[in-house]
Amino acid sequence: MRVFFRYALRETGTNLWRNRMMTLAAVLTVAVSLSLVGAALLLKQSAAQASAHWQQGTRVTVWMNPTASASEISNVQSQLANLPLVKQCVYDTQQQDYSEAKQLLPPSEFSALTVGDMPSSFRCVPTVPSNAFVVESTFTSQPGVYQVTAPEQQIRQMNSAIRVLQIVFLALAGVLLLSASVLILNTIRMAIFSRRREVSVMKLVGATNWFIRIPFVTEGFIQGLLGSLVAVVGVTALHIWYPLHNEFQLSTSALWGTNLVVILLGAGIGAVGSAIAIRRFLDV
Amino acid sequence: MIRFENVTKTYKNGTLALRDISLDVEKGEFIFLVGSSGSGKTTFLRLLLREELPDSGRILEAGRDIGALPKWRVPYLRRNIGCVFQDFRLLPNKTVSENVAFGLEVIGRPRSTVDTQVPQILELVGLGDKANNLPNELSGGEQQRVAVARAFVNRPLILLADEPTGNLDPTNSEAIMSLLERINRTGTTVVMATHDKALVDRMRRRVIELDKGELIRDQVRGVYGIDEPAGSM
Repeated sequence: MRVFFRYALRETGTNLWRNRMMTLAAVLTVAVSLSLVGAALLLKQSAAQASAHWQQGTRVTVWMNPTASASEISNVQSQLANLPLVKQCVYDTQQQDYSEAKQLLPPSEFSALTVGDMPSSFRCVPTVPSNAFVVESTFTSQPGVYQVTAPEQQIRQMNSAIRVLQIVFLALAGVLLLSASVLILNTIRMAIFSRRREVSVMKLVGATNWFIRIPFVTEGFIQGLLGSLVAVVGVTALHIWYPLHNEFQLSTSALWGTNLVVILLGAGIGAVGSAIAIRRFLDV
Repeated sequence: MIRFENVTKTYKNGTLALRDISLDVEKGEFIFLVGSSGSGKTTFLRLLLREELPDSGRILEAGRDIGALPKWRVPYLRRNIGCVFQDFRLLPNKTVSENVAFGLEVIGRPRSTVDTQVPQILELVGLGDKANNLPNELSGGEQQRVAVARAFVNRPLILLADEPTGNLDPTNSEAIMSLLERINRTGTTVVMATHDKALVDRMRRRVIELDKGELIRDQVRGVYGIDEPAGSM
């Protein structure tokens, strides 16, 4: 076994060096392809994150009549608290709404208001933005409720836009991954084809299939690994230097998650690709 | 050592390569396989290596039916068979000693064995001073001697040679022949397919002649061909 490992390591090393132009071609193919895959994955996550960000900002507000009684208010409050569609609700008293209006309205208009004119309100965050509509229809006709407001149109548009964006990026990553796999497989197959003579001699002197296969597979693995490391550098550079709006900017952990995926893909495609590519030369 | 029992082989394109061949080869025999091109000599050797399987009949090597061998055992069968070809089949980017060592490394022999056996066998074939040369720095005869060294380095029971002198001048052919003879004297069974009339006639060994896939002559101390015009290939 020790003999075999030493042989496999030495063989892999000399093969990589002797076929260095092929190695370079394979490594660059992996690097370019996986950079694109990584970038697409990163953008997909950005879109997902931005949508989560925006959705957090979605509020539905239940305005109470200024004349609503305390029992009406507590009735609405307990109903909202028991509604699973709503994540959380904050009750703003008339006084709080009055001071908010003070900030929002010009002084001339504000001076006409008194605290007693102001509706108190429940500021609620729905679990999913579209639940805002349910809240709206449920509470509009409740006693003591003046009005329910939700940013309907924006929510609908935003949701569909983000869904399309995510699907596009995911599809892009999928297509790029497929083309990367085919390119890598082809490069490895060319490298092996140029050495089919060596493989035939190995079979002739009685090498087992695994003995022949292992150096090629480790070679593909190393090529894939090197290529994906270059791709990681590319993806990281994109993450650091490409200016994105705040809401799209991903955390460092998301970046490293993507990089890990890129490395696993590269090494996996390299190893599995060479195992597949060598199969037809082993079949004698 | 080798036994063919009613072996027939037809290739997928319909070419009949061997028809109903039966013969026995004892351990330590030296056999010439003669016949014109396309007579089935190479198929005969490929069957022995189990690169092909017969359509019908059995082939036994060292008492074992090689057709019944599972696929994963085939490499182990080949470790007992050395091979030499007309076109040498050396690895061009390995040195002479690396090429010979390859035959041992591939079957998992430890470093110490490789380090002692390789110089020994290179000395035997008279190439001790060329150990670190690349194959393309050697003459054809020298390259074939490297190939013989690689085939014999793990002491196989059988040595197959497919026109080993086909690319060589008479002097070099002579050197390869005497090498094969020495190997044969160690008890290795040698099967050599050849067109070299002069060699066969001089050696006076068992001759098996094939014609269009049929065994037409099996002569104990044979010559190349009784009715062949002199000097023909």
